[in-house]
Amino acid sequence: MKKGIALLLICLLLLTACSSNSNSGSGSKNTGNAAADNGTSGNTATTEPAHAKEITIWAWDPAFNIAALEVAKAEYAKTNPDVKINIVEYAQADIIQKLNTGLNSGTTKGLPNIVLIEDYRSQSFLQSYKDSFYDLSGSIKGSDFADYKSGPTSLDGKQYGIPFDSGVTGLYARTDYLEQAGYKLSDLQDIDWNKYIEIGKAVKEKTGKALITLDPNDLGLIRVMIQSAGEWYLKEDGKTPNIAGNAPLKEAFEIYKQIMESNVAKVHADWSQFVAALNSGDVASVPTGNWITPSITAEATQSGKWGIAPLPKLTANESVHASNLGGSSWYVMNVDGKETAADFMAKTFGSNVEMYQKLLTDIGVIGTFKAAAGGEAYTQANEFFSGQKIVSDFAAWTEQIPSVNYGINTYAIEDILIVEMQNYLNGKDIDSVLSDAQAQAESQIK
Amino acid sequence: MKKTNSNVSIRTKSVLTGWSFVLLAVILIFVFYFYPMLQALILSFQTGTGSNLTFTGFDNYTRLLSDKTFIVSVKNTFIYLLVQVPLMIVLALFISVLLNDSKLKFKGFFRTAIFLPCVTSLVAYSVVFKYLFAGNGLVNTMLLKLHLVSAPIEWITDPFWAKITIIIAITWRWTGYNMIFYLSALQNIDHSIYEAARIDGASASRQFFGITVPLLKPIILFTSITSTIGTLQLFDEVMNITKGGPGNATQTISQYIYNLSFKYSADFGYAATVSYSIVIMIALLSVIQFKVAGDKNG
Repeated sequence: MKKGIALLLICLLLLTACSSNSNSGSGSKNTGNAAADNGTSGNTATTEPAHAKEITIWAWDPAFNIAALEVAKAEYAKTNPDVKINIVEYAQADIIQKLNTGLNSGTTKGLPNIVLIEDYRSQSFLQSYKDSFYDLSGSIKGSDFADYKSGPTSLDGKQYGIPFDSGVTGLYARTDYLEQAGYKLSDLQDIDWNKYIEIGKAVKEKTGKALITLDPNDLGLIRVMIQSAGEWYLKEDGKTPNIAGNAPLKEAFEIYKQIMESNVAKVHADWSQFVAALNSGDVASVPTGNWITPSITAEATQSGKWGIAPLPKLTANESVHASNLGGSSWYVMNVDGKETAADFMAKTFGSNVEMYQKLLTDIGVIGTFKAAAGGEAYTQANEFFSGQKIVSDFAAWTEQIPSVNYGINTYAIEDILIVEMQNYLNGKDIDSVLSDAQAQAESQIK
Repeated sequence: MKKTNSNVSIRTKSVLTGWSFVLLAVILIFVFYFYPMLQALILSFQTGTGSNLTFTGFDNYTRLLSDKTFIVSVKNTFIYLLVQVPLMIVLALFISVLLNDSKLKFKGFFRTAIFLPCVTSLVAYSVVFKYLFAGNGLVNTMLLKLHLVSAPIEWITDPFWAKITIIIAITWRWTGYNMIFYLSALQNIDHSIYEAARIDGASASRQFFGITVPLLKPIILFTSITSTIGTLQLFDEVMNITKGGPGNATQTISQYIYNLSFKYSADFGYAATVSYSIVIMIALLSVIQFKVAGDKNG
């Protein structure tokens, strides 16, 4: 009896062992195949450069980034029909998690060949995982792209990223509400934030609509304001916290509080509520990145009711009417297939002026490739915005965006500031708000 | 002589058989539980971003004690713990006694209705709650229509109300789960005890406090420990409803670990240290609960 049980158990163990063997067997078979593929390409390397036949790309936002990739894929297929390109859509937070866990585990299996990373985060990846990204200095020239993009996309003089989405900001405003309050879009040209609030009060009084919608958990507006003055949460070295004694940051905080206290702001808690506030006509304006255009134009009934003015500026002299909010860039991973991935990027986003025209007319993507701005699509009038040539406006503002060093701690510092902002709104003195935040940032960031 | 030999071999055989039964489980537990725990402990003595880690001894642990965000997260987690766990346990106990009444009709329907929240996905229900409690969500609309409030309550964007929203959400989600334990325990209590109590003239409340609660004590201990552990690891609701905000008014320890690992610049060493602080807290609290409520049943 016992023998029988023992036998049964051994059989069971063997079975599991076998099945796990066969699993790992098929696993290694897969890698074997991949190795074989590389092997063949390696063999042909004597005659032509080693190129993988298949690459994978991760990105977020189907209406914007994924759509742009599809255009690039079609463009690349014209000259390289044998390369298979897999485009995988993940939410941005998922990409960050997958990249971090993948890179930390030390195995490159499961990582993509190309990945989209937000500019605020790129240095954190480049510096935390050295050698995990492929040096593109030989494929593209960083100087071909908007200057403020070079900080986030390069490290130690090497170009790692292909600058993409500009993130250039503008002040989107409802011209019909402005008119009811006795203003025109031209009244929003070259104003500072105080004037903006003043106009907002009039709009609120006449139309009952809020001037702006804000998420208390997102200090994007503060980021926009300080970058317009060439300052950041960190000093130029990208390491030392620059909070106490940062004049533009102090002014930005004061403006934020004024907006809150003037009763011209509506509060939202997430992206969908944010877009809903714009589309429902609840707010009169939104100062944000140009990537909001597809979301605004999605509400076709509001065609002709929106216009775009330059960003208001701080009263500090060095502040300009241009800034960046959450732009992103492409990065090639240092894994098998990197040469093909780099070639794909160089031939599409890295050089193809024609493609950028198509990206603009079909999707509304404003890239940061300087040469593309001379194209025809950049000067076209936009019906939704009453015939305003919004792209040439944005392209002009892109050139003025001051460069800052985002460092690797943007979101860590911002979480400290969000808390201090609440304290400030509740009556804490501004100087102690900033010096407390400075002290906390210094103790947390090492 | 020969006999003893065969005895030994039989004993060895039975030991071997026993081990071979549990071997697979033991290996799996070692690989998937103990090894990661040890790795995390080693990691908690290292600092640096991403893969640039260096051993820095107890640096992370000293940082923990002066880290304001961590302290706020612990405070928030304990507010949930102290308010929500007793509230939920009393509620679950109350509902289970009502549902155990033999005269109650549609018992199956009520039991299912109250247990149903426990089988919904954490993320799905959190998202639904977020929309119910949004500025212009259903809850505010109803409160306004019923003239209970004059202006919409900022359920998600006000520090105080955001905490209340989280407490309401987790109470809705987990009360039914605890109720099921009480219900099954109540059905094991002999009816004759209640009959005898009634004959002696004990009121309903006297029966509840004199019979039901003492007899359910082991189960109450069990549910309060599991609820404590669950609350200390609270993540999904906060992540999906308030993202820890406004500011860090609703942030829990688990969410702080997530932020350190993925939202900021991949500080896995410090995140592991914070994880170990939860382990220590759970161990301490469980010991206290056993000491307080356990007595001979514990």
